[in-house]
Parts: sequence; C-alpha cells; structure tokens
Amino acid sequence: MKASGIWILAEQKGGKIADVSFELLTRGIKLSEERGCELAAVILGKDLSDADLQELIDRGADRVICIEAEQLDHFLVEPYSNCLLELLGEERPEVLIAAATSTGRTLMPYLAIQANAGLTADCTELSIEKDTGNLLQTRPAIGGNIMATIKTPEHRPQMATVRPRSAPPATRHKGRSGPIERFKPSEGSLGSRVKRLSFLPDADEKPLGDAGVVVAVGKGIKKAENIAIVKELADALGGALGATREVVDRGWLSYPHQIGLSGQTISPKLYVGVGVSGTIQHLAGMQTSEVIVAINNDPEAQIFKIADFGVVGNLFDVVPAMVEKLKAGRGMV
Amino acid sequence: MTDRTYSPVTNEILQELKAIVGERYVIAGDDDKLEPYSHDEVKGEQYAHMPECVVRPRKAEEIAEIMKLANREHVAVTPRGAGSGMSGGAVPIEGGIVLLMDRMNDIVELDKENMMITVEPGVVANDINEYLAEYDLFYAGYPMSLETCFIGGNVAENAGGGKAVKYGVTSRYVLGLEVVTPTGEIVELGGKLIKDVTGYNMIQLMVGSEGTLGVFTKIVLKLMPLPKSQVDLLCLFDSAEQAIECVPQIMTRSGIIPTAIEFMDRTAVRAACEYLNESIPYEQAGAMLLITVDGPSEEQVEHDYMQIGDQCMEAGASEVYVADNSTTSERVWKVRRNIGEAYNVISKRQCAEDIVVPPACIPAIVGKLGELSEKYDVMMPCFGHAGDGNLHARIVSPPEWSDEQWEPVAEKILNELYKFTAQCGGRISGEHGIGHKRKKYMSYFVSEGYLDMLRAVKRGMDPNNILNPGKIFDLQGKA
Amino acid sequence: MANKIVVPIKQVPETKSVKMDEKTGTVIREGVDSIVNPLDLYAIEAALRLRDRYGGEIVGISMGPKKSVKALKEAVSMGVDSAILLSDRAFAGSDTWATSLILASAIRKIGDFGLVVCGERATDGDTGQVGPGIASFLGIPALTYVSRIQDLSDKLCRAERLIEDGREILETSLPAVLTVIKEAGEPRLPTLRGKKRAKDLDVQIWGNDELGIDPDKIGLKGSPTRVVKIYRPKVARKCTIAEAKDEASVGPAVDRMCGFLADKGVLQ
Repeated sequence: MKASGIWILAEQKGGKIADVSFELLTRGIKLSEERGCELAAVILGKDLSDADLQELIDRGADRVICIEAEQLDHFLVEPYSNCLLELLGEERPEVLIAAATSTGRTLMPYLAIQANAGLTADCTELSIEKDTGNLLQTRPAIGGNIMATIKTPEHRPQMATVRPRSAPPATRHKGRSGPIERFKPSEGSLGSRVKRLSFLPDADEKPLGDAGVVVAVGKGIKKAENIAIVKELADALGGALGATREVVDRGWLSYPHQIGLSGQTISPKLYVGVGVSGTIQHLAGMQTSEVIVAINNDPEAQIFKIADFGVVGNLFDVVPAMVEKLKAGRGMV
Repeated sequence: MTDRTYSPVTNEILQELKAIVGERYVIAGDDDKLEPYSHDEVKGEQYAHMPECVVRPRKAEEIAEIMKLANREHVAVTPRGAGSGMSGGAVPIEGGIVLLMDRMNDIVELDKENMMITVEPGVVANDINEYLAEYDLFYAGYPMSLETCFIGGNVAENAGGGKAVKYGVTSRYVLGLEVVTPTGEIVELGGKLIKDVTGYNMIQLMVGSEGTLGVFTKIVLKLMPLPKSQVDLLCLFDSAEQAIECVPQIMTRSGIIPTAIEFMDRTAVRAACEYLNESIPYEQAGAMLLITVDGPSEEQVEHDYMQIGDQCMEAGASEVYVADNSTTSERVWKVRRNIGEAYNVISKRQCAEDIVVPPACIPAIVGKLGELSEKYDVMMPCFGHAGDGNLHARIVSPPEWSDEQWEPVAEKILNELYKFTAQCGGRISGEHGIGHKRKKYMSYFVSEGYLDMLRAVKRGMDPNNILNPGKIFDLQGKA
Repeated sequence: MANKIVVPIKQVPETKSVKMDEKTGTVIREGVDSIVNPLDLYAIEAALRLRDRYGGEIVGISMGPKKSVKALKEAVSMGVDSAILLSDRAFAGSDTWATSLILASAIRKIGDFGLVVCGERATDGDTGQVGPGIASFLGIPALTYVSRIQDLSDKLCRAERLIEDGREILETSLPAVLTVIKEAGEPRLPTLRGKKRAKDLDVQIWGNDELGIDPDKIGLKGSPTRVVKIYRPKVARKCTIAEAKDEASVGPAVDRMCGFLADKGVLQ
C-alpha cells in the first residue's frame, strides 16, 4: 500500500488555530524527518483565514488541508469523523496524530473504528521504527506506573493521540511555503444527530489542561476560604489552579480543577503542589510535569519523592511569603 | 505541685547523659528543639510543660544507667513514645529528662511457631501489621492513631481502639515485657507463655501504668491469624436510642461478635459529612452505627454481615450500606475518622473526652450530653466505640467565644458530665488514660482506699518518685 | 424512552495496590485487589438516577475473565437490574478496537436500548477509547465528558458536556452512547438489600458462540495494535529540600525555591 505521509490534526476554536496544534507539528516534523516523507496539517472548521492557515506552514507543515463547512464550526463527532474518513480513503496517510483533548479523545476512537485502524491514546513519545517504518507509540499506563510502547504493524493509518504540553510548540519560520488546499465535504458527510444547543464558557478561570503552570492545592489547605491564598500564588505565577480529589470531593473547588485518576492528567512546565500529600491517584495525573515543586509540612509526604524542589513548612507561612517575593521580583527575574 | 521538689538538670548531669547515650542523642539548651516534647495531642497550653533535656537511648542498659543517675541526682524522668497521647501522660510536668524511645524501634524476633512477636517500644503500631502481612498473621491492637503511635505507648496506656469488641484491648496481647524499673534495674516479666501464675501478675500491673512504674524495652505480643476478609456496614437509624439499643442485640441475637461497633450521633455525623461533602443521606439519620465484621473466608464474613445487617434492619435501621472493598470501606470509615477533624476546623477550643460506661448505659449518657449541650449552648458531638461502652464525647466551644468565656463553662460541663458518668458506674477514661489532664477528677470515680493502693505500689517501686511524677494521682495523700 | 440503559463495566486492579516487579519491569497481578473501575461507578450512578427519574431497566455488562462477575454483582448491589458477563478465551488480548466490537455486539444482542452509559475511561488502561468505539460500531452518536444529563425522552437526550474552556449543552437522538465524568454524581453505596439481590442473581455468561463475531476480528488476532515493550518510567528526580519550620527560616526557604524556579526558567 502506498502511503502519503504524516498527518497531524490541527484544532481550532472560533476560527483561531489552537496552540496544541503547534505542539503536534513538533511531533510531526520529527516523524516526517525520521520517515523521510511529507508532513500535512489537517484542520476542520469554517471561514479559516489564509493567514491563520499559513501559520501551520510557517511552523513546519509542508501542506495544509482545510475541510470547510458551516456545520464544522464546532466539534461534533459524526460530521468530523465522516469528513476525515472520506479524506483518509482518498489520501491514505501513514500516520494521523491528534491531541489528547476532549475533541481528539472523542473523535479519534470514533474514527479509528470506521477506518479499521489501530489507535493509541495519550502518547508521550512517538518515533519511527527504523527497519519497518512503523510508528512506535509510547504511553504511560496503570496510573503512570508503567510505560508501554505500542505499534500498529498491519493497519493504516497508524493513529495516536498525544498528551497536550508534552512537546513544545514548533517555532515559526517566515518564508516557508506550501499548498493550502481547501475542501468542501459532501452534504452526506455533514449530517449530525447531535445538536449543539449552547455553550457556557468558564468565566475567568484558566483551563487546567492548557496551562504552562499549575498550582495544585491539597487537603492541607484545611478549608474552602483558605484557597484564596493559593489562588494568589497561581496568579502570581501566571498559572491555573488545580486540586486534589479530596479538595474537590469536599466541594472546596469544582471538578474541572481536579488532577489525577478520576480527574485530569496534566503535563505543565511547572507544577506546584501546596498542601498536597501525593497519593498515587494524584501522582498519576501530574508526574509527567516538567518541573515539580511542593510545599508541605510533613517531610515524609509522598509528593517530595517525585518533586524536584520541596519546602517543608507551614503553607500558611510559605505561600504568602512566596507571593510577596514573586510580586516584588516581577520584572527582575 | 508548684514547689520545686526536683533538682535541675545541670551541665554535669548533661555531660553524664551524653556519656551514656552519645552526644548527638541528647537535646538541650534549644527551646525550639525542646518545644515539641512539651506536649502531646492534648490541646491547651495549661497542659504543656517544657523538658530540660530530651535523651534518646538505644538500649535497656542505657536507660538503666539514666534511671540510676536520675535517682542519685533527684531529677524527674518522663518516658515518651510518639507523643500521640490524649491525656498528657508524656508531658514532663516536673521538667527534667524526657526519655524518647524513638531509636528503640527494632522488630526483634518473629516466632511463627508460637505466633508471637518481640518488638522494641519505638516501633510504630501499624508497622507491626505491615511486617506481619506476608506471614498471614496480625496484631489485633487498633488504636485510631495507629499510623503514628508507638507500641510502647499502646502498652503504657493499655490502648483500646476500634477492634476491642472482638479482640479486646492491648493487655490481652502482652505476654512478656523487659522493663527498666524506676530505680534502674532491668527485669524480665512473663515470657512466651499463654498461662503463667508464678507470683503477682506484674505484666497486667505494668500495662496501663502510663509510664509511672517502668520503662518497657522489649515487648512480647501474642499474634492472631490474619482475617482474610472484612466487611463494614454503615447502618442508619432514626434515633440514637434506637441505634444504641440495637448494639447488644447484634451480638445476642445473631451470636456473632463483630470486630468493631462504632456509634455516631446526629451532630457528629452531620459535622463529618458536611466536612467531607459526603452524599449519604445523613440528614435523615438520627444516628449511625458502623459495624465491622472480619473472618477467615469471604463466605463466612458474608454470612456474618448478612445476619448482623438483618438484626439492624429488624431493630429499625432505615438503611444498611455494605462496604466490602477498600474504596467503599475507606469511604464509610472516613466519616467516623473525620469527626474530630471536622470539629477542629469549626473551633479551636474543645475537650476530647474518653468516658466509659457499662455498655447498656450509653443511651443515658447520650441523653445527658444532649441535655448539657442545650443547657450551656455548646456543641457536644458524641461518637465512639459503642460496642464496648467507650464514648468520645467532644465538648466544642462556639467558634466566637474567647478563652475567658469558654474555660469556666467547660469546667462546669465536665463536672456535671463526670458526676453523671460516675452515677452510671462509669469511669473517666476508657483508653486514653488519666495522665495529668484528668487527675483531679479521679476522686469522682474511685475510693480513697483504691488510691492508697495505687500510692503504695508507686512508693514501693519508685521510692524517690523519679519516673513520670505527677501522673494519674497525687502521691501526697488527699492533695 | 426505550426500555434499557446498558452500562459497560470494567474490573480493574486497584491502583493503590499495583506493584511492579523491579527486576522484570512487569506488573504483579497476584494478590492485587480487583475493583469496579472507579469511573464506571459514576456511569452506574448516572444510570440509576435516570431510572429513578424516568423508569426503565439497567443492564450491566462486562468483558473479562469469570472473576469479573464480582464487579457486575457490585453494580447489581448498587441497584443495576441485571448483568451479563462476556467471557471467552477468544476475547483475550483484545485491544480497544476489538473490545469495542465485542461490547457493541453484545449491546446489539441485548437490544431495545436507549442509552449506553460508560465511564469516561478505565483507571488501568486509561485510554477512554472504548465508549466512542462502541458508538462507532453501533453507528450511533457519542457524547463524551458528560457532566449532567438534563433531560431524557423517548427520542432525545439533552446533556451537558465538560470541555477545556467551558460547558456545552448538546442534544442527541436516541439511541446514543454517553461517557460520563465524576460530576454526573457521587456513586451510592451498595445496600444490604442490594447485596442480597446480587447474591441470588445469576449473571448470564455470553461467549462468542452467543455473539457470533468473526473470530479474525477479536482477541489478539483482531487487534490492530501490538504492545512491543513495557518498562518502568525513569524517575530521575532528586528533591532538594528547604526547611521552613519557623518564622526565621521561611524567608530563606522561599528565596531558595524562587531561585530554583528562576534557574529552571519557569518564572515568567
């Protein structure tokens, strides 16, 4: 079977390309170099501007395929899956990778079944096997206790979702050029039995999954009112506020803040645990963070075992002191 | 005891102590470092007292030398385990030396054939069972603080805890002790014997002596086969009376002794559930029982819990929840274990009580607590080991009260509560001990003749009153 | 609404008790407690709430070895009406593609369902692929990350879906697959009555004889993906500790921490 390269599935929100797409390009550039083939970025939406699509080229795509229709403005699983399936059938790419976002993690398994393709979820490493050209997909499993490397020897495309923030965004190189192909899908592909009635955006809170810095608060905070001091630290660091299961269970913060087995898995550049003891369930959701620091008054707390830097002390003293220091030092660092 | 009856720990004494245990194992002259040893888990500064030095011995011989030195120089010595006590027993109220047992933390020997284990006093209670798990054995002691408390402290306080209904308290499992006496002799008591009547039962005297009669340096514990299966039942009742009345019936009618029967009244349940944001329908429950059943097989335990569950339903339980895996078990026990924490968040000022009454009197005590709570307008959640008559009432100050408002009221409530407990044939402490916190109330519960006996024992064994002075009772007659 | 709500349930090792063989780098399964996938409990709870509100019947299904009956019985003791275990040597080694096919085939055989309610993912495999996979095989819509089911009628279901930057309200025709998250409701505890019912209930066991799937499409043979290597992640972190036990040491400890963060280039 002749295959035509590596595809990444870019995402857009309200016509703007989502940052996670550029992380996928970083993955895609590496794979297309290893495989010696073309890298294409596929995107679905409506009214995407040439300038925006050119950014995908600037950041490393050799080619952009834009599938456009009114019905593709927001993610809906059936039209998204149908449109891609149509395209996959025509173009037969070797590899299709998407982000492990709420969109990617819904669309890809739906599509993989239709395409009779293998799919690996939430990968943290991707490479090409030298002799066979197969995609090697490595992902954490069992709460991060093991890493598994998976391949799909006989089915094409080889599909994978990639954990957001597990690679840096590809850098922009002005002057790159490549075709931007716009497709109008067939009416038959656009039908959806699901209707999107409305959307309620989060008022002012930063989404956890996209955040480069996450400050997580644990049971050590003692009560809901105290969370304000951790929020201040998150603000001072320009990060999002996360929480352990315990804190969410007690109703001190809402579920979208929860990190861990029954919450979100994050890989920020910096994770700060405040009064977090580090249960295995929590660690499963954050141990791939790049830099981990922790503040806890118990020197035996598990979190210190996986942290890079720890302050053993009372969080009610340490956190305000840190906020003050960060505010004072802003612009100096 | 305000007048100073003991000599200070002089530089010369410190040098001698350092010579005995090694320089790095003596803490002195730094208030920050000594402060943690000035109190245990009892809240309130009036119960704290700074030691002059902390000594961390490694061997019985070192302790013997320390005791001889203390007798010669007339310096008080207070033994201390993990400091998780609830009665101020490890607080050096006469200053002097705190004898910290944390370095004596070896598991000396597991004797599988005799089903016994020999441990040093500084072993954390829970570590014994973690060590034993692979041998399918377990030690039945189960204080609520088991992840921190030392086995030596458990023996000194004769700790009870959650599993006493079926397994009894610590004393049942202590077969042998190596003890350093208050005058510095090393004596072996008992041994690996199930039966032993050679002389007075000194082991039972030592167990629960609150560190006043000797320092334990080795402890031989009897072990049990590890139960293969365990199930918890959370039973909701309309009223406290209904729940309590059900307790004896569980055992008499089903013929099964559960491992634990914990009682929680409406106030306690509500605070814990609100604190935990727990969704079980606690608001409709007047009280809850948390019943644990364990046994050698899943089938046996299933049979037992269904019988007990049926008894509870017949006794009027509105619902019985079954937790048979670690997730659900953790969820129901969390309610019980977080009552204290929930109230710690509500108010800083509170008394944690440990009254014990004949099990049938629990409804009367629960009623009395309700009455006192209304009369003085304070929160008095009531929870505890209903199966054995041991209740942990808390008397919680309204958060907005000051110390000056709170203390006289607390004093009045305790007076009334203790008098009522005595009328029921109860005692002031089921498992936390008297220490110095409850000393002044001893006379409500025991006769002068009884106290004289205790004094005679203490004088006979510790003529200079060196070891943990000022605890349980005052030595000078009717002081 | 259609009669049945189907809830797929997975038995998983309890994460807390998962141990690794340091030498071989494999997971020790022996002596590890098996539990109902914690996220499936939310699916069970969501289904029970729907039944409480709208009536109907809940069928729990699970694919796995015979001992997975225990997980199904746990679901029954919470209030699920009946249970079917999909157990066959031919199913062993299935990846998410083949697993989705087997579950979808069973659900088709059960028939007359309005909703399939799944946990968002399982805590062992952690893929979250089987829910949408089932929908895809059944050719029906999938609503993922559902936080609240607002309304259900004979033909429609309206639900709230939690995504990165907010909440979508979606309406789908029935039948449909929903995967739910924790916000769908704290699972109720099993009751004594439920335990008794579960004890007496016979869990039906279906193998491939009952489902009649092409043997080339299930098990290891039918799975597009292959695990080529399993290893322990490198934990190369060494924690530098700064003590901040009293007032005097808080300042220096915070200075060191901020210095560390600056060195790592993670301060803005």
